[in-house]
Amino acid sequence: MNITTGARLPATLNDLFLFAVMLTMAAILTTAMALQYYGGEIPCPLCLLQRVAMFGVGFGVILHFRHGYSARNDGVSLLFALLLLIVSARQTLLDIYPRPGHSYIGSAVLGLHMPVWSVVIAVALLLAFAIKLAVLGGEDLRDRQPSPTLGRLAGLLCLYVIAICLINFVSVILQCGADACHTSQYGLLSGS
Amino acid sequence: MMLAVFATISVALLAAYWGPRWIAILAMLVCLALSIGLFLFEIYSPEYGFHMPWLQVQIDLVPHDRPRGVDS
Repeated sequence: MNITTGARLPATLNDLFLFAVMLTMAAILTTAMALQYYGGEIPCPLCLLQRVAMFGVGFGVILHFRHGYSARNDGVSLLFALLLLIVSARQTLLDIYPRPGHSYIGSAVLGLHMPVWSVVIAVALLLAFAIKLAVLGGEDLRDRQPSPTLGRLAGLLCLYVIAICLINFVSVILQCGADACHTSQYGLLSGS
Repeated sequence: MMLAVFATISVALLAAYWGPRWIAILAMLVCLALSIGLFLFEIYSPEYGFHMPWLQVQIDLVPHDRPRGVDS
């Protein structure tokens, strides 16, 4: 095997993996926003924290596509995937049997509620990163730039994720203001 | 506080794409710290603390009256 090709294959697989992770995060966050804006389901504080964790996973991917590979970027993504697991597991435990006076917020998607989906997503992310690191390692991937085509596509995807993060930011301003978040209405639009 | 969390993650993502890397990392660390603080604040109850006593995990010692399988 050609040495250059042998070194390039893990880097390409790593780029494809991170692109797929970013695409998944974008799809999930878009679905959550569709449920919010079209379905009228205003997110609870823990739901918003789960979105932050997903943006955090995307943060590590953006660093990779803008500044090249570093195991630190994967570490950041893993850190936020762990945060996602902790927050969603706690919320799932809260919702297994609702706390007296606190009924469940949100509807089911394909039979599972959103926090349960978040647990599944977080476990899948942790598993995927672990397998990726075990199979591809990190030594051959350092400071390698992605191919131009994939780099452009990834750049657009990163911009999309940044855009939906900014939309969420504006939405949080309207929902919570500088105070606690309401799950019944957008605080700044209610006029009270 | 949620506002600060989303403000910092937005700054982190924008800086990761366009800005210096150290600003992105700094904003990400602040966001992570704020998120953990807000999470602990949200799940804390003055009555129960961090516990969830409405979730019963002890084995029920009272036998059920329902028929169970072929042995019933």
